[in-house]
Amino acid sequence: MFGYHYRLERNAIGLVLAIVVAASIGGFVEIAPLFTIDETVEDVPDMRVYTPLELAGRNIYIREGCYACHSQMIRTLRDEVERYGPYSLAVESKYDHPMLWGSKRTGPDLARVGGKYSDEWHVAHLINPRDVVPPSNMPAYAWLQRTPLEVKDLGLHLKALRQVGVPYTDDMIANAAADARNQAMPDDGGAGGLTQRYGEATQIRAFDGNPANVTELDALVAYLQILGRLTDAAYKPAAEGG
Amino acid sequence: MVSQLTMNERRWAMGILIALSLIGLTMLGAGRGDAFGVHGAIVAAAAIAMIFVVISGYFAPEPGEERLTRYYDDPSKAGIVISMVWAMLGLFVGDWVAWLLAYPNLTFDAPWSSLGRIRPVHTTSIIFGFGGNALIATSFHVLQRTTRARLPDQLSPWFVLLGYNLFCVIAVTGYLMGVTQSKEYAEAEWYADIWLVVVWVTYFAIYLRTLARRKEPHIYVANWYYMAFILAVAMLHIVNNLAVPISLGHAKSYSLFSGVQDAMTQWWYGHNAVAFFLTAGFLGMLYYYLPKRAGRPIFSYRLSIISFWGITFIYMWAGSHHLHYTALPQWVQTLGMTFSVMLLVPSWASAGNALMTLNGAWHKVRDDATLRFMMVAAIFYGLSTFEGSFMAIRPVNALSHYTDWTIGHVHAGAMGWVALITFGSIYAVVPWLWKREAMYSARLIELHFWLALSGTLIYVFAMWNSGITQGLMWRTYNESGTLAYSFVDSLVAMYPYYIARAIGGLLFFLGAIVGFYNIWMTIRTAPAEARASEPDAPALSGARVQPGE
Amino acid sequence: MDIEHGHMVALAKSFGLFYLIALSIGVLIYTFWPSNKKRFERAARDIIQDEDTPWR
Repeated sequence: MFGYHYRLERNAIGLVLAIVVAASIGGFVEIAPLFTIDETVEDVPDMRVYTPLELAGRNIYIREGCYACHSQMIRTLRDEVERYGPYSLAVESKYDHPMLWGSKRTGPDLARVGGKYSDEWHVAHLINPRDVVPPSNMPAYAWLQRTPLEVKDLGLHLKALRQVGVPYTDDMIANAAADARNQAMPDDGGAGGLTQRYGEATQIRAFDGNPANVTELDALVAYLQILGRLTDAAYKPAAEGG
Repeated sequence: MVSQLTMNERRWAMGILIALSLIGLTMLGAGRGDAFGVHGAIVAAAAIAMIFVVISGYFAPEPGEERLTRYYDDPSKAGIVISMVWAMLGLFVGDWVAWLLAYPNLTFDAPWSSLGRIRPVHTTSIIFGFGGNALIATSFHVLQRTTRARLPDQLSPWFVLLGYNLFCVIAVTGYLMGVTQSKEYAEAEWYADIWLVVVWVTYFAIYLRTLARRKEPHIYVANWYYMAFILAVAMLHIVNNLAVPISLGHAKSYSLFSGVQDAMTQWWYGHNAVAFFLTAGFLGMLYYYLPKRAGRPIFSYRLSIISFWGITFIYMWAGSHHLHYTALPQWVQTLGMTFSVMLLVPSWASAGNALMTLNGAWHKVRDDATLRFMMVAAIFYGLSTFEGSFMAIRPVNALSHYTDWTIGHVHAGAMGWVALITFGSIYAVVPWLWKREAMYSARLIELHFWLALSGTLIYVFAMWNSGITQGLMWRTYNESGTLAYSFVDSLVAMYPYYIARAIGGLLFFLGAIVGFYNIWMTIRTAPAEARASEPDAPALSGARVQPGE
Repeated sequence: MDIEHGHMVALAKSFGLFYLIALSIGVLIYTFWPSNKKRFERAARDIIQDEDTPWR
């Protein structure tokens, strides 16, 4: 009796093991070598991290599902390079947890949208896209301007990102909330520490046009304006994609 | 429901529910002011509501030993109804999203109703809500019939079904509040993901425990597919969702992987979610309900085994075809393309096997819309796997990627294959489970069939046209060697197709409403002396199995 | 990182090929093993039976 049941059970376990082995190899073989990172991702010394305000903007981009209609990955095809700019390098999303390469372009690619339009254009466009692009089918995000940005937890965000490998310093983590406010409220004074921590090129201004407060619109525009500008590796002729 | 549980199981149920409500209350306390707290409240409310359900039946008489002479189908019945409820939600939201892409103002000035938040409500409701519940419900049904053994106990199937739906509810309500990992088809945040692992392990245990007590020495091939679905989804889910939460009181987490590694992991997951959730599981349905309904054994059992291993092995390599011409190293892209093309062999073997099974039963296909649902599903399976392999070829992908062609392809699979095989299986299994002679109305099945088929065709043709138009416009140059069209030009060209797509989706939704009504009326109609036909219970032999072993 | 990328890639590709071939042969042997024929045919036929209670 026991023997009979034992044999049956062994068949089932054998099937389970066979499925696991057959199914796991493919992923392992393809993914594991990518973690020998030196050759997968280019080494770029000038690559900078997102400021707390930009990170908050990125999280709004994620929260609103922007990635479902906008890619951030310019392929190595002539028409894409001519339309959107130099093709994307692996290093440019090195600090992107998670990546937002996207899979669909209901709207255009945004990998290099930073600096392409003015803040005013972005503000008007996000409040009602059809005011600036009449045939647009993008949703309106008017409430972003009405919603104050939640900054008090940004230190926790930076800390979690450091745990997964983004080089945020203790100084950056400690000042995260203040840095976010200062980047969008330059009149408030004290923005100096921000540039020391994140570099002279950090864009400091009232992104939504209102220096009196920090809204979610500030954060999202700050993020859009930095896209493709964390490093200029892609513009250097020597740079080679993977 | 509770009256079918033994006293011991009722105690366990109470214990689990009390623990769950405490977890919910803890989440509520830790996550004040965050979506995490709202989810805590939902968990606690669900658990407390279930506690009342259990209490109300707690002192009902225990089920007798004679229950072991029957299969345990209550969770399957509930699963099928729940699956149809999710279909209503998912199809409604899906069609709403489709109309939004043509008329972006058809919404409210509120964050929750924005396209970016309701789109994952559509995908999750359909894939996990509709598809997942149908898979769980039918897998319990098929598992018992093919092993000739009753489910091992009465509690764990309910835990799997209701626990799984708790996951779906957490996921969908999360999107409305802006809680998302942004990983496509894995949007739910870390705590929901952990919960799903618990549910999934229990699901797997039910499978193993039932198989261990089977009376048929050979495990029927449909179970192989269901097992591959359970095992592979577990692996994919765990690896792709590895993340660090910002605190134990916040919903937000950061993926362990970044950039190119994250992209590869995500599409290894994304593609194999299609493979093992939307293909393997539903092939399990096909390999049982199609032969059963046609009254003919599967054309070639051997072919079904060969295609099983082909699919299990090859699919896992194919994910990188989602990343052609990107920053992913090219050797991985080439590998993904090669395996994607090879995948056509086992896929067509399965589709051909299903159609050859019907060879000689075409008169049944003509007269029986239920069987026709399954046949057309097999045809769409063949079509969309061919299309998938084709689109994985690098130069083709250069044109098709990022366009609506991908959306058309996915929906040829999701509407034409997954939904049609599910509706066919549900129409086959509902009279069986509820012991009815037949469905309430054969003509309504017929109506559903034609609505679903025409909706799918309109949708898919609209998206093929828009996708190829879009892809071509993006890469067209004028005589002076510059790009001929701006992005907005290509968007303007899309509008007619977006309206056509929304109409196709509407037809499909109407068909599903007809189906739900038909199922509901079948359940409500009094059984036609079904009990009388039940065979005599065989004498209990030595191979007795204790409940909850 | 001690393991070099090139080695990993070479290993991945060659191993994958041999594994694919070995698995295919294994599956074909199992499928066409003569003594399995009867079992498969019975499995395919048995689900058609209309009996709807567990075997005891």
